[in-house]
Amino acid sequence: MCFAFLLHVAISLTLTACGTLQEKWPQPSERLPARHEIASVPFYPQKAFQCGPATLAMALAWSGIPADPNTLAPEVFTPSRKGSLQSAMIAAARRHGRIAYSISSPDAMLREVSAGHPVVVLQNLGLSWKPVWHYALVVGYDLNQGVLILHSGNTPRNRLSLRVFENTWTRSDHWGLLVLPPTRLPATAIQHAFVSAVVGLEKAGQWQAAVEGYKTALACWPDSLGAHIGLGNSYYALGDKGMAEAAFREATRRFPTNGSAFNNLAQVLWEQEKQHEALEAARKAVELGGPLVNTYRKTLEQIQAGKP
Amino acid sequence: MSTLRQTVKPVSVVVIIFMLSLVVPYQSCLAALIGTETVLDTAPGHEARQQVKQILDREDIRKALREQGINAEEAKARVDALSDSEATRLAEKLNQLPAGGDALGTIVFAALFVFVVLLVTDILGYTDIFSFVKKHPR
Repeated sequence: MCFAFLLHVAISLTLTACGTLQEKWPQPSERLPARHEIASVPFYPQKAFQCGPATLAMALAWSGIPADPNTLAPEVFTPSRKGSLQSAMIAAARRHGRIAYSISSPDAMLREVSAGHPVVVLQNLGLSWKPVWHYALVVGYDLNQGVLILHSGNTPRNRLSLRVFENTWTRSDHWGLLVLPPTRLPATAIQHAFVSAVVGLEKAGQWQAAVEGYKTALACWPDSLGAHIGLGNSYYALGDKGMAEAAFREATRRFPTNGSAFNNLAQVLWEQEKQHEALEAARKAVELGGPLVNTYRKTLEQIQAGKP
Repeated sequence: MSTLRQTVKPVSVVVIIFMLSLVVPYQSCLAALIGTETVLDTAPGHEARQQVKQILDREDIRKALREQGINAEEAKARVDALSDSEATRLAEKLNQLPAGGDALGTIVFAALFVFVVLLVTDILGYTDIFSFVKKHPR
């Protein structure tokens, strides 16, 4: 962007489809207050083409990480494209130890804002065949007046009509992103999506943040196998084998038919020289079988061969 | 020649130790923990299969299967042949069945359960019980 203001007015005059708006944007209800504005979101004005780094910096700063658009730029900005790719935005959030959780519907977006979570959105301010991509941060809304409040470009708390916003957001397939501290659960969190978002922290090597993320997941879904295994794996990566053992033990208690839980328990027991218990867990894993049984067999053979 | 051998010998010892130090940590890495992502990807299919098989162990289900001329072990082998996504879909369908507590409800559940399992495996071409299911030529 961001020469797009005129273009943007032109679009709103020519391309509005009034009929669909009412269906897509929810009415105020018990779970969704008519208006809300998050007061504590800092604003950073953007430089030319740098809406990605500026938007991400605002989201990170809100989440408690001091961030500067200039230092973020090398992490997200792709000079040849004069913009920031969505995948780079997600990766950068994770590299700073923050949960990157996707939002893809107007209802979910408003519910997150009403829960106090600012939402990064990707808009196409141009046309589908001549796109002008732009990132902004949604910090509030007012359904009675039909406006969305965004930190966008050089304007803090820019009030944009929902109708115009809908047109620009639809052209990015409703791409939205939460950047949250790992101790915080999205208001619209779905178990598998949230646990996968925490796996993203593992991939970025943010093991301490991953531990916190899995704990957050388990507080809400104590029966998430992925979160129990992930917690153990993250403690293991941090070198805390005692806590890893405890997490895997809990996984075997809750999922007595899952071989992977027993396999991982066997491995950490063996590395702590608890030979007898390790052997027992490894045998159990092989006995339970499943698609990963060959790996379980390797673990068993390794433990049978002796001490680490 | 012998002086060459004498100087090479300590060098080769050093090289052997160096090579071992490279190899040993990798060995213990090979059979390591199962990654979180792998567990997330493989668990649903595995759990779905386990769930279906557990129900196949029930006496009333075995009886209903026998009436179709199939033993429970054969039915389990067919469930094993399903891909992960097929197994998950089958388990979802089975979870939607009414589970009555009384004797009649149990019989109805057993019959429906067997019907759904055989219908799904039929559609996928693993079985050929129902003539109304059109088979894909494989």
